[in-house]
Amino acid sequence: MEIDKDNANPTILNPSDLPSRRRESHVKRRDEGGSGLFDDLVPRCSYLSDPFDAPVSTSDPDDDAREDIDEQEIYDLISTICDPEHPLSLGSLSVVNLPDIRILQPTSPLSSISTVAVEITPTITHCSLATVIGLGVRVRLEQALPPRFRVDVRIKKGTHSTDEQVNKQLGDKERVAAALENGTLMGVLRKMLATCE
Amino acid sequence: MSSATPSPTHTLSRLATLTPPSNSRTWQSAPHPSLPIVATACSDRSVRVYSLTSFTLLHSITGGHKRSVRTVSWKPHTKGQSVLATGSFDSSAGIWRREESGPGLENDFTNQRRGDGDEEDEADDYQFSCILDGHESEIKCLSWSPSGQYLATCSRDKSVWIWEELEDDNFETVAVLQDHDGDVKCVGWHPEEDLLVSASYDDTVRLWREDQDDWVQVAMINGHDRTVWWAEFEASGMGKRDFRREGKELSEEQTRHVEGLERSGPRLATCSDDCTVRVWRRKAKERDDQASSNTGIPSIIRSVAIDEDWYQEAVLPQVHERAIYSVSWSRITGMIASAGSDGKIIVYKERWREGDKAEVDEAATQSSTEWVVVAELFSAHDVFEINHVSWARRADKGKRSDDEEVVLSTGDDGEVRVWTLDEGVMSH
Repeated sequence: MEIDKDNANPTILNPSDLPSRRRESHVKRRDEGGSGLFDDLVPRCSYLSDPFDAPVSTSDPDDDAREDIDEQEIYDLISTICDPEHPLSLGSLSVVNLPDIRILQPTSPLSSISTVAVEITPTITHCSLATVIGLGVRVRLEQALPPRFRVDVRIKKGTHSTDEQVNKQLGDKERVAAALENGTLMGVLRKMLATCE
Repeated sequence: MSSATPSPTHTLSRLATLTPPSNSRTWQSAPHPSLPIVATACSDRSVRVYSLTSFTLLHSITGGHKRSVRTVSWKPHTKGQSVLATGSFDSSAGIWRREESGPGLENDFTNQRRGDGDEEDEADDYQFSCILDGHESEIKCLSWSPSGQYLATCSRDKSVWIWEELEDDNFETVAVLQDHDGDVKCVGWHPEEDLLVSASYDDTVRLWREDQDDWVQVAMINGHDRTVWWAEFEASGMGKRDFRREGKELSEEQTRHVEGLERSGPRLATCSDDCTVRVWRRKAKERDDQASSNTGIPSIIRSVAIDEDWYQEAVLPQVHERAIYSVSWSRITGMIASAGSDGKIIVYKERWREGDKAEVDEAATQSSTEWVVVAELFSAHDVFEINHVSWARRADKGKRSDDEEVVLSTGDDGEVRVWTLDEGVMSH
């Protein structure tokens, strides 16, 4: 098993060194009723459906959602994803990093679409699993964020030998949708997404 | 950049949402060529057939495909029955049939009562007829040729297949076209000729035609920077219906332009991940003015005779902020609608360029016409992406003329919404 790994000795960060606000996440789950794109395909993370996590705010829920989600929260959602070949999180492997996450607000007052742009840094430049990692990040965010967010996941420029190719795949909605109907691939994704403690 | 970006003059208003909606993503909707119904491809592996008179679900076609149904297309010119082709991520295509009882249904749009009661009584559903196997991975799009003779399918396996129905349920593969370097996202047919267009993940658009029993690539369009999601030809005979009809006294230059367009024939619209919609036009062959005389004449030197030159005529005003998944050309007015990831529906109209500005402003763009945005609708499916947009004849009781159209939009929220386009702008 060890021999097959693309990178047998990755750099690992101590969990206490990872960016954190040390507080509960306020990310709300998507509405029920099947509006989520991948709801049926991926089991939900337990903390996202935690009943104690329900917002108690009395103000307009829309305003709340708009202000609630920031880069740190995005980081918290994806840094806990498990690497497909190491029993370690993407955060501790520095595959996802807080400075590489950006939230873009709607470009027009008439629009309600925000964009989350995440750049991931594969552990080595020819990592064959970059696409799977990127897919995991995209699926996690599409599952967890309200549907008004568009999720753009890219490989950080210059960190991967075929980054343009991988970016094109990760940005192709139809390919992503088809991939999520592939049982084998979903098995891998499920394992990555299950370890989100 | 664009010399004219006036504010929209029209408003899209929601007439209806087809009910009940699907509870998962819907990909594409195809209006029937003659009946007031629409078929919608759903990611729950089903096809839903809705009425455009009552906006309710008539049939649900299930049990055929093992994965998402991505694409649907009605066979044109069928008598007494409806024939639907479905393409799925399970890499197969299906053919479904349903007997349409009663005489004169084919062209009956005028009787608004039709479909309200009669159809409910008929228990007969769409019958599975046959399966077309051959593609190695997901089918992304399929399309019947205008004569109904051919069915084109395309797939992530980078190929385009052309099937011919020899007799009922006996389909023969007449071509497998493998020139694309990436997933083929869309196929569509020229309205007058057996000329096929395909759009791809390899950023190109290609045109194909039969030459001495072999289908060959006759043109490649290299204009978009990213995946081309959709390609659609203009309808036939638009010179009598679109902006060309409006000008009363054409200048010499305008007359030349109209004649040139007639020689080129129907144009092509494409849309892309690069956030642009582009219009392409065929360079008319100089020696034989009747373009249609090309077909059927065997030629020894293939390349000279059959290759076509398609050039960019216009880039439509850039209003979309994310990938544009779909573009649709009205066969009544010549207007173009587009929609995509940003959730907007945009309607564009072509018009004569004002006075002699063309010469003063941009010597490079010599076109006598320009495209302007006439309607821009935000959040047409709330916060969700729109996967497909299409014009259809309006068929409900409220229609104001036989020629009135609606825009159908198909979204990630599982809904198909019906929009009317009206002159005037609502104040915000």
